[in-house]
Amino acid sequence: MEGRPLDDVALVERARNGDVNAYEALVQQYQELAFRVAYQVTGDAADAEDAAQEAFVNAYYALGRFRPGAPFRPWLCRIVANEARNRRMSAHRRVVLAERAIRAHASGEAAPSPEAAAEADEFRSTLVATLRQLREEDRLILAYRLFFDLSEAEMAEALNCPKGTVKSRLSRALGRLRDALPADLRLPPTLGARDG
Amino acid sequence: MADPSRIPDVELERALRTLGSRYPYPPTPNLASRVRGRITARSVVPPSRVGLWRDPRRLALVAAVLLVLLGAAALANPATRDAIAHFFHVRGVVVNRVPSPLPSPSAITPLDLGRRVTLEQAQSSVTFTIAVPSAVGTPDAVYVDTRIPGGEVALAYQPRPGLPLVRQTGLGLLITEFRGDLVPGFIAKEVGPGTTTEETSVNGDPAWWIAGEPHTIVVQVAGQDQPETLRLAANTLVWEHGGVTYRIESGLSKVDAMAIASDLP
Repeated sequence: MEGRPLDDVALVERARNGDVNAYEALVQQYQELAFRVAYQVTGDAADAEDAAQEAFVNAYYALGRFRPGAPFRPWLCRIVANEARNRRMSAHRRVVLAERAIRAHASGEAAPSPEAAAEADEFRSTLVATLRQLREEDRLILAYRLFFDLSEAEMAEALNCPKGTVKSRLSRALGRLRDALPADLRLPPTLGARDG
Repeated sequence: MADPSRIPDVELERALRTLGSRYPYPPTPNLASRVRGRITARSVVPPSRVGLWRDPRRLALVAAVLLVLLGAAALANPATRDAIAHFFHVRGVVVNRVPSPLPSPSAITPLDLGRRVTLEQAQSSVTFTIAVPSAVGTPDAVYVDTRIPGGEVALAYQPRPGLPLVRQTGLGLLITEFRGDLVPGFIAKEVGPGTTTEETSVNGDPAWWIAGEPHTIVVQVAGQDQPETLRLAANTLVWEHGGVTYRIESGLSKVDAMAIASDLP
């Protein structure tokens, strides 16, 4: 992870000068991140794929405005999230069905997890369902920090907010997640101790 | 873990980190070759979206072309089109007629009205004169959002007799005012079949009354990296006067909303 930004700087610089191979290498490196960020926003694989692809194309043509030496990852996240939001607008009819099912499940209205499911799996699926209920801003900030391991400075760039507000936003998002979790949810002993 | 209903921050963070590596993502598609194909297929560097929106002449041209295309589409075959944009005579607002206006629950964002301020502070932050309707008196809260060109002010009124609670906002009445002449695409509304849109007028200015089933409202300043907000909106009266776009959202009937509006410019 530590070596990456330096590689990025060189690749971005080459891509800025029209080196398509360099840009392809960047896409290769970040397509998983881009797709997953987009999926956090859209909740739909096809839309996330479209959004990530479009974001990479747009980012290429926007490289001229990219500040040389700046981290590529949060800049890309920002473009991806914007693209994903655009997709979500047109796709909300499809997403609404899936989301309703998840929401119903989370609030106990629909099929409960199979009794045989392990405690950790149940905890995880509850966590996923609850995350999906959060507003996008909260979900993204939690994902940036805890799933994608962005630094505070990178999160500020990705979220387009002042660096000084990142910590409090994160803490508020965590609080809202906790509030949204079922009151009787227990942390499975294995999960907290397991190394991610 | 003395209180199982209260998971400590550190434990919740650790659980999330663990989840991050096991999150049920669909498999990542291979984008690299497709992106490469699209980049190399274009011989001319196209204008970026930001560039487009920042260039008023190009924007005007695109808007004109869009208007012609949409107009032609509407005339050609209005019934089969999924969404037809109606460009209201109210600047700052675009309305799209869609088959279903419901956004996904996760897409709905809470009201983001900006900073809470006093009416005086709000006035000093915006480039137009804030109008407060005398019929409903001083707002319970005033918000200002200066990220938008010219600024936007929101006057919020708690539910009370005569101002029924609006589930979508948690308020009795919400009035927003902004420079519609400066931000043409600031508000987009998606209106489904259960919602009616009716052309009307407020003090002689063209206005629209959008009522019935809640409609989706998207607030964004295109190309300016502002986060958009998406939520369901209740009955809305919207009009423009002197470059300022006014929007009244409430659970009121058209007659009652018009009575409040007639107090405003």
